[in-house]
Amino acid sequence: MVGRFASWAYLGIALLFIFLPVLVLIQFSFQGGMAPVPPFDGPSLRWWAKVMANRKITDGLWNSLLVGLGSAFMATVLGFLAAYAMARKRRRLSGLYQFLLMAPITVSYLIIGMGLQIFFNHLGIGKSLWVIGIGHVVINLPLTFAILYSQLGEHQANIERAAYDLGASDARVVLEITVPMLWPSLLAAFFIAATLSWDEFVIAFLLSRFDVTLPVVIWSMLRSGLSPELNAAGTLVFGISILAVALVELLLWRARRNRA
Amino acid sequence: MKTLSLKSWGHLPALAWTAAFFVLPLIAMLLMSLSERIEGRITLTWTFANYQAFLTKAEGTFVGALINSVEVTLLTTVLSVLVAYPLAYILAYRIPRQWQRLVLVLTVLPFWTSYVIRSYSWLLVLSENGIINQSLLELGLLSEPVGMGNSRFATVLGFVHFFAMLLTLTIYANLVQIKESYRKAAADLGANSLQTFWHVTLPLSLPGVAVGAFLTFVLAIGDYITPQILGGSKELLLPQAVMLQLGRQADFPLASALSMVLMLVVTAAFLLSARHLKMGRV
Amino acid sequence: MISSFTRNLISRRRALQLGAAGLATMTITPKFAKAADELNCLVWCDHTHARLLDPFAEKHGVTINVKEYEGTGTAYSLVEQSQPGDWDVFVIDSVDVPGAVEKGLLAELPEAEMPWDDIFPELRQPQLHFKDGKLYAMPEKFGYNSIAFNNTRVAAEDVATAAVMWNPKYSGRIAIYNYYIPTMEMVALGLGIRPDTITQMSLPAIREKLLEMKKLASVVGDVVTTQNALLTGAADILVAGGEYTVAGMMVEKPELDWTLPKEGGIRWGQAIGVFADSAKKDLATEFVKYILSPQGQGALATADCYWAMPANAKAELDDSQKKQLRWDQQPGFIANSHPYFIPDADLDAAMLDVWTEVLGA
Repeated sequence: MVGRFASWAYLGIALLFIFLPVLVLIQFSFQGGMAPVPPFDGPSLRWWAKVMANRKITDGLWNSLLVGLGSAFMATVLGFLAAYAMARKRRRLSGLYQFLLMAPITVSYLIIGMGLQIFFNHLGIGKSLWVIGIGHVVINLPLTFAILYSQLGEHQANIERAAYDLGASDARVVLEITVPMLWPSLLAAFFIAATLSWDEFVIAFLLSRFDVTLPVVIWSMLRSGLSPELNAAGTLVFGISILAVALVELLLWRARRNRA
Repeated sequence: MKTLSLKSWGHLPALAWTAAFFVLPLIAMLLMSLSERIEGRITLTWTFANYQAFLTKAEGTFVGALINSVEVTLLTTVLSVLVAYPLAYILAYRIPRQWQRLVLVLTVLPFWTSYVIRSYSWLLVLSENGIINQSLLELGLLSEPVGMGNSRFATVLGFVHFFAMLLTLTIYANLVQIKESYRKAAADLGANSLQTFWHVTLPLSLPGVAVGAFLTFVLAIGDYITPQILGGSKELLLPQAVMLQLGRQADFPLASALSMVLMLVVTAAFLLSARHLKMGRV
Repeated sequence: MISSFTRNLISRRRALQLGAAGLATMTITPKFAKAADELNCLVWCDHTHARLLDPFAEKHGVTINVKEYEGTGTAYSLVEQSQPGDWDVFVIDSVDVPGAVEKGLLAELPEAEMPWDDIFPELRQPQLHFKDGKLYAMPEKFGYNSIAFNNTRVAAEDVATAAVMWNPKYSGRIAIYNYYIPTMEMVALGLGIRPDTITQMSLPAIREKLLEMKKLASVVGDVVTTQNALLTGAADILVAGGEYTVAGMMVEKPELDWTLPKEGGIRWGQAIGVFADSAKKDLATEFVKYILSPQGQGALATADCYWAMPANAKAELDDSQKKQLRWDQQPGFIANSHPYFIPDADLDAAMLDVWTEVLGA
């Protein structure tokens, strides 16, 4: 349908569009002066030194990592348990349960964040990383559930039945048969949840007190004015994320190879 | 023992979590929207004053903000699909299989730059001495710089940049699931490539488009950062109006009512697109 | 940290363990416990840089937690959403001090230990900081919402009058600071209305002028958006801007400038106090004393977030910093500026309505 040349041209333009802001971001993290706008007068490591010495950023990185991994773990476990139960047993209310589990995906983060803020305040529970983590599990649970549910097919069910016939206990079947078979999907679900939590702003903004996650740190840096330090911070986050993406790709590749 | 197996109770923790931290907070917000502030204290009076305020306060600005939000979000969704579809198509059918995953990851890599930073970065790119203006001036296509930031254009551009990546993922995932034999069969029956696309590929890929478009709609209409950084407050979008109420005045009842209105719009969008959405199979 | 993280993740079997470890760390990390040696401060963003906080934290061996807020309403709702005793130190607009005292939020400060006589006389304003002869908050920093501009692109005689805010000559090159109170008061000044005389009756005129200005403006934005507009040439005039927008950059960008027009500007002031519920009043009072010391005042005036004049005339600043802050011109500026006026709740709400309408126009 599309000519070869047109395909490559479109791909090139699309990639340029996608990468343009990132490249500009990276370039001006090496700006010499105080304004991250052309003309470029670097390269200088001045702002990188400042970022590395910025405790707020390193704290934010750590907090984001905790919340991201913790909430992704929780969302994956809850999502897996629910997907397994829903896929292996028919219920009268299955439709309602599925609707409830998927419902948070139809609601904007701003609303979920405000709802939790009002709710926890009413209960007298203070803001903290815990509360942010709870909110992030809420937004990620539909995704982990959907991903894992779609992967729990008849194929696995047959193998599970074989294991039951051989006298394996319920827990053993799940841990030794189902989980290993689903491993790539579990990893993918965990990774998507961790990514979304890592970068989520509104909920973290509304529910944080002293310990803030990285997007909130960056937002407050942004509020105090333009600076190549922000570019350096953004580039740093990007670098760490690429590392994580590469790792997960490696893990998924190995998992698939081992299964093959 | 069998009755206590995982199959019987596995869904309960997730349901409990959703009920406690999603359903109850929404109810709390609904009640908040029916409350009013009396001498600084928030009291549930079952009043509709906040919804009335949405319609009439500030000379109808809130209704205008809602209309702006819907316009910007629809524009974003349509443009994102138009940008992403060819990209996903090229990825799925023009790139050799062994390279597809690498190119796909490359395409969505900026997804992992911080979301706040991405908007900020577009601000720099679009500014009068930013790279676009400088390039166009260099090429002689412009005689003087044009400010492109601080406008609806900039907001939509920032949105499309992000959501085109998301849609590329969902559409690509759908396209690669379409069995090659269908397209081969169409070709065997004498369809040219355009006809094959129109009658086979496109209809079969619509679920992927619908899921991505719906997620785009939900995430874009509730977003505060992108319009705040890129829009320059040339116009007001509803999330900005919500945050404005929370800022100095801490008017939670009105902010809650505005949020409920926002939720109503998303629910309408969901019902409209529900036919194409098979949420269990994202 | 990264390398051990990598090693853990590389092993597939241990990925789950890592998740579990993440949860476990969340439970044991000290940040989640409320330690005895912490000081919790509710502040504007200029009290968050290490150069200001570290000397005190090291000297007293404490951790200083800061939470930034943007408007007094946000601060009150943060306090309302906390447990009693959660907060120790409060940085608040001077004009909002009486309201906070009224709510019973602030504790009395030991007047004898505070450098009251070193504070610039115009900032002392006892009607704000004292109640019934008791001191509740100390002025700590001040500055102006007036007009910031690019001095290579705007004529000096034009910015000499407030009418520059709606001068059609600069159509498409005017930025408006997106905070309704100072901006509307600045517009009021331009219309010949003294800020503290604004009532519901004056709002229609202000509204009309704002709608006219909105048409001329290229951007209405927060600090960074408007600063960016000035830096990149998207705007040459910033309504309600001031030294807080440009002073930190003037060394490298001498074209960025600010001034008070002949009609005057709005003078804002921040104050610092101790929460009445604080369980660590002594430590909190020490912190207040540190912020008001010459060393603390120097670091506060040149904060990463924004620069502005220290309230203490003995602040430690070098000559170039004093020049950037226009130390020597302050008497003239103070004489030609009006204290920030805080409307009562009804007027405030009416002003926000007008502002919302203007933003949406």
